[in-house]
Amino acid sequence: MTLDGERLGRVLGTEDVTPTVFWFAVAPGASVGLDDLVVVRTLKPDGREVRFYGLVDNVRKRHEGVTFESDVEDVVAGVLPASVSYAARVLVTRVDPEHFIPPQPGDEVRHAHGSDLDMALSADKMKEAAFPAGLLADGQPLPLNFRFVNGESGGHINISGISGVATKTSYALFLLHSIFRSGVMDRVARAGGGHTAGTAGGKAIIFNVKGEDLLFLDQPNGKVQEREAEAQVAKGLDADRYTLLGLPMSPFRDTQFLAPPRPGASGNAIVPHTDQRAQGVTPFVFTLREFCERRMLPYVFSDAGASLNLSFVIGNIEEKLARLAAEGEGAALLVADWDPEGDGELPDGITFDALGKTRLETFDQLLSYVEYKLLEEGDGEGDPKWVLKQSPGTLRAFIRRLRGVQKHLSPLVRGDLSEAQARQYRPNLLGGAQLSVVDIHNLSGPAQMFVVGVLLREVFEHKEKYGRQNTVFVVLDELNKYAPRDEGSPIKDVLLEIAERGRSLGIILIGAQQTASEVERRIVSNAAIRVVGRLDLAEAERPEYRFLPQSFRARAGILQPGTMLVSQPDVPNPVLVSYPFPAWATRRDEVAEEVGQSVEEVGEDWLGL
Amino acid sequence: MPPMRIRLDPWPVDIEGGQLGLQHFEGDLIDIETPRWAAVAAKPIPGRLHTVHVVDGKRRMESRVFIEDESGEAGMGGFGAYVVGAVRMCPHGSRPAELTDVRARRLLAHAPGLRVDPYRLSPRDPHTGTLQYTPIVTESADPLAPLHKLQQVMLAEEQNLSHGLASQVPFSEEDDREALTSLTIQDGTLRSKNLGGAVVGCVKTMQTQYLPADRASLLSELRPGERTPILHMKYANSPYTRFIWYVRLCEAAFYQHPMSGVMRLEMYAPDEPDFLPPIVREVANVSGNLLCRLASRAHKDPRAPQNLIPTAALESAMTRAMGSADLVTRRLRAHIARELGVVA
Repeated sequence: MTLDGERLGRVLGTEDVTPTVFWFAVAPGASVGLDDLVVVRTLKPDGREVRFYGLVDNVRKRHEGVTFESDVEDVVAGVLPASVSYAARVLVTRVDPEHFIPPQPGDEVRHAHGSDLDMALSADKMKEAAFPAGLLADGQPLPLNFRFVNGESGGHINISGISGVATKTSYALFLLHSIFRSGVMDRVARAGGGHTAGTAGGKAIIFNVKGEDLLFLDQPNGKVQEREAEAQVAKGLDADRYTLLGLPMSPFRDTQFLAPPRPGASGNAIVPHTDQRAQGVTPFVFTLREFCERRMLPYVFSDAGASLNLSFVIGNIEEKLARLAAEGEGAALLVADWDPEGDGELPDGITFDALGKTRLETFDQLLSYVEYKLLEEGDGEGDPKWVLKQSPGTLRAFIRRLRGVQKHLSPLVRGDLSEAQARQYRPNLLGGAQLSVVDIHNLSGPAQMFVVGVLLREVFEHKEKYGRQNTVFVVLDELNKYAPRDEGSPIKDVLLEIAERGRSLGIILIGAQQTASEVERRIVSNAAIRVVGRLDLAEAERPEYRFLPQSFRARAGILQPGTMLVSQPDVPNPVLVSYPFPAWATRRDEVAEEVGQSVEEVGEDWLGL
Repeated sequence: MPPMRIRLDPWPVDIEGGQLGLQHFEGDLIDIETPRWAAVAAKPIPGRLHTVHVVDGKRRMESRVFIEDESGEAGMGGFGAYVVGAVRMCPHGSRPAELTDVRARRLLAHAPGLRVDPYRLSPRDPHTGTLQYTPIVTESADPLAPLHKLQQVMLAEEQNLSHGLASQVPFSEEDDREALTSLTIQDGTLRSKNLGGAVVGCVKTMQTQYLPADRASLLSELRPGERTPILHMKYANSPYTRFIWYVRLCEAAFYQHPMSGVMRLEMYAPDEPDFLPPIVREVANVSGNLLCRLASRAHKDPRAPQNLIPTAALESAMTRAMGSADLVTRRLRAHIARELGVVA
């Protein structure tokens, strides 16, 4: 069998040739750059052939036959004959059959195309599970193995890179787009005998942590045509990148946008706290009863692990509140033992039900009640069943922390909702749209932690109950904030659960962070697919990035927005890909004018589809 | 009496002969350009001279052999390799210099009266190529004859190459004057007979002092780029006649002989010392500028400035083209071992 790619050069004999790394001299007229995929065929003495597939990770040129550095002047002046030697280093990604002999110096090196490319990137092993993860340097799509994404062989994706230039969220969205629209979920579901639901059952939850970037994912991007046309010319591609990748150039379908309510909104109105987009965003709130019943209290404390005593108090109060909530119904909480007669400091606005029970309708009131039970009842002794012999110092610390977050959580946890309101504003992440964007960027730090923690635990518990047939992708940026390496927190516990057990339950974490070295090691190490955008060079030298060969770590410092290094278990070396400009708007001003929309889309908007 | 003076020969001691030998010359020397013996300034290189070739050759005896042919005849011989080659460059620096025709050829020179087949050393490794030795008969059975044959073949090839690349020199006044568009600089003195090309030989060493004592002092006074007038020279014992002139390539250092950095140039001349072809004068006029550009520097080449930059590059390319002598010898040995059925 011969190789059909264009001939690039011959294996060098002046450098060591090994089965994993070798250099080749680039033939005159050929051009080889980093990330080009190549194939070498060598013959063993018995006549059997071995093929080496690899990718170029280093290229160099030098004047050959010239001894002195100052000779370059003579060469340029046309006095000294010298040829330019052009050589490239290849990291072998695959040897087929697996005979780890070195190639022979002088063997032809060819560009890997077609079936050779599939071999080089192990796409032949992926079969129906391959989906495009971006374009290689030469304009061919990089296949990614979905079985390493959906939890079958491995799961989770981790993306690292400096904010702004690494465009981690953009790449995560591109991957989601590719997963949902390339049909890979359906192919894998069919091949698996229908045990999983495919695209129809797939869900994605994105936590929007900065700006309102992600609130327009359902709108077409007015600039995408122009930008892709530019990129096509700049990179010399045959078609636009969406076409090359086999993906539609269209925004996300079947989306819902959730945002917390605007604090201090007049009256009973619950309006979403967003500035750029008002239509189509659903506010979400939790009822006070849910807060207690579903044991959300621990998520108020992001540093609960810091003190053993404090955790004990939290656990105890959580238990007490859950019991209180078990009785009664509605959004508010009724308590019988808060005696307003005996204590003159009852806050304003407290109402009582028919039986004389105190009705707690706001988060503030709940806190006052807890404070009363712990520190005030019985002349400052507290209710012994609540206090459980904890020292007043610890109790005060507990109350102080609760008071600290009171302002942040009050708009989110409310007891003054009607039954219908409670149902309407309950965040429904798994029953509703395929893609849910939870906008938390307007929330303060503690409230963000609370929302992420509570929602993720809910998803996790739901999946524990109903199993993995519907894959849920959770996109979360700033993992270093939610699961820091050194401290413990309830959210970190949930994320760890997801990282370690989520893949068997069909919860896939697409996590991103600026610096992987600051994220809990077990979360990063559980990701089967690792992606690196622009990195700080000092960060790139940390052990978390050992999966990148040295030359790639240096490269990570100069990556441009729109390019990523992707590492997957099937291919031993990371591969550089570029991915297209988003087809969905990422800002309000990118939203395409209606004239730019297709008739169908306009129609759908009209019909409210 | 002038005081005793000692100055250094410019070249390192391990180079045989040094740069300045200065033996006395027995032969005829005629002023052909001008009777006025004074330095001539260099002229700029004309635009129409677009190509300069620097040509050199090299040979190597790889193994002396003893040959017995099928009919039982025996004699001496030798495996040898030679290479000639050129650097093609633009004297105006408008394009990169490049090596041309640098290709090793291999000979199996053998004594007369033997039947010798071409000898082909097939590679042990598919990527290392074959070595092909063409048989060539020597003039005598002398043990040194193969080496002389090799040298002879190489010089003939070198001359063919030199003249083939250069503009033609018209040697009578009736000829249409061919413009000097292509010039060949050949390393060393001109040998054998003239083939008519504009070929200038560069003699790096001054073994013989051709000039009488009263004229030799001009060599010390030349400034870089300047030349002496052209002379017509005829050896006492050789049929070949030359035009010669001297050019200075660089200033001599204070510790060197004042004639260091001076090079003798030669071109073929007709026997009759009454005609100076205009091309020869033109070559002489541009030689100062051209050679100063090509002159090497002392820290890069022990034979600077006379060993020209392209020549040095060509020499190393030619050495490389012949391949490693050790490896060739080893392959010869291995080949013979295989032919004799000896397990190597």
